[in-house]
Amino acid sequence: MSAISSKRWMVVLAGLALAVVAIPPSRGAGHRVKLTGEVIDSWCQTTGIMVALGTAHHQCAIWCAVGGIPVGLRTSDGTLYTILRVDKDKANVANPRLLRLQTHEVSVEGDLIERDGLRYLLIDQVMDDHGIINQTHADSGIQPFGE
Amino acid sequence: MRKLLLILPLLIASPGWAAESWGLPGEEAASFDGKVVDVQCVLTKDCPKDCGAGRRQLGLLKKDGALILAMKNADPFAGATRDLLPFCGKSITVDGLFTSNEGVRAFALQRVKPPGGEWIAANGFVRDWAKAHKLKPDSPQAEEWFRHDQTVAGRIKAEGKLGLGPGQ
Repeated sequence: MSAISSKRWMVVLAGLALAVVAIPPSRGAGHRVKLTGEVIDSWCQTTGIMVALGTAHHQCAIWCAVGGIPVGLRTSDGTLYTILRVDKDKANVANPRLLRLQTHEVSVEGDLIERDGLRYLLIDQVMDDHGIINQTHADSGIQPFGE
Repeated sequence: MRKLLLILPLLIASPGWAAESWGLPGEEAASFDGKVVDVQCVLTKDCPKDCGAGRRQLGLLKKDGALILAMKNADPFAGATRDLLPFCGKSITVDGLFTSNEGVRAFALQRVKPPGGEWIAANGFVRDWAKAHKLKPDSPQAEEWFRHDQTVAGRIKAEGKLGLGPGQ
């Protein structure tokens, strides 16, 4: 190997080393997803109390969303996503858009970030809003107080 | 009785009950230190001033790098943003409960303690709601804020308790 080619290799290796250093850790990095599910209250869903789905729980879900509990999305396989953003609005406490979507079945597109056991969803487009289709009140009444 | 036990966690507001059982699935009492952070800021580097000034979900970033979302406070049907917001960017000690269900682990905040300070019950939502409505936090209206809140009333009037339309 000539002196010139050795220098080239050193430059290439130095460049590769810099590239490795420059890549940020993957922890927290998100990826694009398209999901369909029911907009829900995260706390009631996580704790499994008060039915926490559909019409029976709609009023309670409104209470919790106005009270500032994170709003989530539950897909049909039971996976829960915590919504941190919807459309261009980066507010996620008592967000009016999320209040209007509460209990609706929606199809969304956005970024999913998994961190320390939770799945955080940053929605940049609500592609379809099917309204409320999960009618749980016939079996469960109005949760949690029956009125 | 079972229904009462199920809704108890959402009704308890007494500071004396901090870090005590709410009878939740997979429940685990916890006390730990962490820096108060805007969760969206930590995850996306989009960081408004003052942790979003009450419009962002807040959490606790532990020294080991674990990010804990504070999903609930000790008020009925309320989150923990108002309890943590005064300590944005600062390290505090918290008391509360972890609960696990369907593979998800959530944290409910019961008390906060700033360095050198006293324990403060995590009842910030009702405290602020009462103040905004010129009521005492222990007034009947404030304790059942969800039945007297104008935003809630507006949504329920528009779509009904079941969400199927006005009056339904």
